[in-house]
Amino acid sequence: MVNVFAVPVFFICFRECLETSIIVSVLLAFLKQTLGPERDATTHKKLVRQIWVGVALGIFICLCIGAGMIGAFYGLNKNVFEKAENIWEGIFSLVAAIIITLMGAALLRINKLQDKWRVRIAKAVQSKDESSLPVQGRFKRWCEKYAMFILPFITVLREGLEAVIFIAGVGLGMPASAFPLAVLCGLGAGVLVGYLIYKGGNRTSLQIFLIVSTCFLYLVAAGLFSKGVWYLEMNEWVKLAGEEAAESGSGPGSYDIRKSVWHVNCCSPGERGDGGWGIFNSLFGWQNSATYGSVISYNLYWLAVIVGFLLLGYKERTGHWPLQKPSQAVNEVESESSSHSGNVIEKKQEAVASSNVHELRE
Amino acid sequence: MAISLSSILLPVSLLLTLVDAATVTYDFDISWVYANPDGVQNRPTIGINGKWPIPPIIATKGDRIIVNAMNSLGNESTSLHFHGLYQNGTNHMDGPESVTQCGIPAGGSFTYNFTVDQPGTYWYHSHTHGQYPDGLRGPLIVHDPDSPHKDLYDEEIVLTFSDWYHDLMHGLLADFISIKNPGGAEPVPNSALVNDTQNLTVSIQPGKTYLFRIINMGAFAAQYVWFEGHTMKIVEVDGIYTEPAEANMIYMTAAQRYSVVITTKNSTDANFAFVGSMDQDLFDNIPDGLNPNVTGWLVYDEKKEKPAPKEVEAFEPFDDFGLVPQDKEGIYDKVDHSLTLNLKMDNLGDGANYAFFNDVTYMPPKVPTLYTTLSTGPNATDPTIYGSNTNQFVLEANEVVEIVLNNDDPGKHPFHLHGHAFQVVSRSEDEAGAYTPSSSTSFPQTPMRRDTVLVHPNGNIVLRFKADNPGVWLFHCHIEWHVASGLVATMIEDPLGLQRQLSGKIPESHLQACKDSNTPTEGNAAGNTVNLLDLKGENTSPGPLPAGFTARGIVALAFSILAAFLGMGIIAWYGFAPIKAKTR
Repeated sequence: MVNVFAVPVFFICFRECLETSIIVSVLLAFLKQTLGPERDATTHKKLVRQIWVGVALGIFICLCIGAGMIGAFYGLNKNVFEKAENIWEGIFSLVAAIIITLMGAALLRINKLQDKWRVRIAKAVQSKDESSLPVQGRFKRWCEKYAMFILPFITVLREGLEAVIFIAGVGLGMPASAFPLAVLCGLGAGVLVGYLIYKGGNRTSLQIFLIVSTCFLYLVAAGLFSKGVWYLEMNEWVKLAGEEAAESGSGPGSYDIRKSVWHVNCCSPGERGDGGWGIFNSLFGWQNSATYGSVISYNLYWLAVIVGFLLLGYKERTGHWPLQKPSQAVNEVESESSSHSGNVIEKKQEAVASSNVHELRE
Repeated sequence: MAISLSSILLPVSLLLTLVDAATVTYDFDISWVYANPDGVQNRPTIGINGKWPIPPIIATKGDRIIVNAMNSLGNESTSLHFHGLYQNGTNHMDGPESVTQCGIPAGGSFTYNFTVDQPGTYWYHSHTHGQYPDGLRGPLIVHDPDSPHKDLYDEEIVLTFSDWYHDLMHGLLADFISIKNPGGAEPVPNSALVNDTQNLTVSIQPGKTYLFRIINMGAFAAQYVWFEGHTMKIVEVDGIYTEPAEANMIYMTAAQRYSVVITTKNSTDANFAFVGSMDQDLFDNIPDGLNPNVTGWLVYDEKKEKPAPKEVEAFEPFDDFGLVPQDKEGIYDKVDHSLTLNLKMDNLGDGANYAFFNDVTYMPPKVPTLYTTLSTGPNATDPTIYGSNTNQFVLEANEVVEIVLNNDDPGKHPFHLHGHAFQVVSRSEDEAGAYTPSSSTSFPQTPMRRDTVLVHPNGNIVLRFKADNPGVWLFHCHIEWHVASGLVATMIEDPLGLQRQLSGKIPESHLQACKDSNTPTEGNAAGNTVNLLDLKGENTSPGPLPAGFTARGIVALAFSILAAFLGMGIIAWYGFAPIKAKTR
């Protein structure tokens, strides 16, 4: 099972695909709202086609790059990583855990993402209307003409490459056969949820869905984190006891008794035929031979996640970090947001955009 | 590297002239010397009187042997065991430290004094924690003017085979029984030796018969031994004369001996190689470049070339089980006392690998077992007082004892019993599993006797002997690594008879060794003289490995699950927050 379905890969694909489909859906909605088929059918059709061509091209390029990267990696993998398998597995697991942790929180804020993108699109369109801006060169004009192509193209490319890099990071230790199904499922789920958002379905049930999948994501990440530490410890053990001892199944000698918290001579996730325990391992980080390192890192990981979310929640409610003076904090937040969006003019645009959104919803 | 045989034969012939005195005395000053027998590495080696190889002990049947041992090692205690000698009436001269004596402390002296009424090929070696492979092992030959085979040969030649390590046992043992070696992989020897050298030349004359007394005094490796172009006629194993049996190749475990008669060719046209080849099945990891073989030559003509040994297609050694003792002693068919020893290897709580008989690994008692017997009066018949980690069995006088040994380990083990030669009444093939009485109905009527026997991987052996020799006798695997990891049992044979023999007769030098090393000489295994059943403070093995989930594991798992649920709760709290904010 683990050899066929890489759980972290699924979540990464799901998340990136969801983000992309939200952007596309916002674009489509925007078009529908500003020049719906009833107003200018030809232009509308043309622009919709632009969007889809951009999406298709972006996906195609990503697939090429991703396939190339993964292919090259597996060619390289056999030679480079074979000798110190445990140390690589450990490092990859830790990297994967960190990647998932950082992007996981964003999944809960997908709704915000929708609003953010409306602002950006509005901005892009508005700058086209404002002919007062000096226009120089054909390229810029071309860009304006094909904004509906470039926007989704760049987005898809960006999210796609991000996904490729993340998958490569997360999936380094996994067999190649674990990818296809996980990638397909992730993409499918992402598109489905994106469509639901586009349709504006039940926001609460969508939110529950997102929360549940985020919980799974963090369970996986906690397991990966613990597993990463476990693998590094295993690497030390192999160095001490020799490969033969460490690979003697799950009996005595396969683990360092001095670091053992529990050890059962069964249910090993690594052994073939113990597929169930493999799933248990990739979902929850189960080890039949837990060490102080793996248990403590698992608990510390959750502690960090809990503290992190509490801080995020606190900041969202009060507008500043705990122990920070509110006024200062607000300033910081403002300067942050302004540095993101450029200058004050954009604030106005934001207002315009949100009015668009309201229209859209009707 | 070749040294000629004369270096060994010369002292032998000198000593033979002294033998008439009927007491042979050896003053052994045991000390560290440097030696480089395989020409690869010079290393500290335990020598005697400043020399290594150490001298052979030579006697004639009926002689008294006195060995005045002086320990000048400086950093280790020592002892001497005379392997294969029954020590009837002199159990305290048998040698194993913590069993029949205290170790001879550095700077101490100790006298071994006993008579030998048994002819044959024996050897002597240290019986202190893993020590003899550092060099303290040599031949012990008891000549027999009345040998039934004396007409079969003209001359005698002693050949010792041995494995050899470049590192000292002290360090090797520390690594062997440690968490670093959970699989219990025994250190692999660095080379093989014959007469403590390599490329030995043995000058022989055409048309004569020679008795080769061949001894494997290695620590670990069994050796296949064969002489190219010559057939061996086995006439003795481990001090027991046998009906002559022809063999092209013999297999000698550590501590086994064979006397073989070889008839030389009538011409001096060529010289012939002979080979000792270590059994690599015993080695877990065979290091690159290990030469398992040691070669010597039967030299008819020194001017002729010494041909390299030919490759053998397969090792097909003689099966010693079929040998018939020359005295035709019949099988002990009425067993009074049958005891079963189940052998296994496993790990204990310190992570190291140990060897077990019936789930108990041997740990030396605080009081040498013999002294416990001698100091406990009528309680000496109670096995309990000998401790919880000595695998002790109390045997009654003159009962016929049967040892059933089931080898639940994929390794070959050579088992040795002190104080006796046993009848080997049954030996299974590999992988036969545990012995069941019904499975072997046809025992040989005149079973082979010897004092060291091979048990096959995952097989079994059945041994019988008569408890007619009061004493504390060890039964152990003669792979020195396995002695260290606890593959030892203690036979306490006729303890009350032993008290009658030896009470108050332990020599001063023996008691002094205990005083010098602060070892108690009275009481039970823990040194308790008041309540003999109170073993508090005895030496015990590390505890067992924790089984599965202990309290620690359950708490850890519970905390992890709690942390995960708490974390997910917080995620849900955060996830719902913005929606609430929006609806406001």
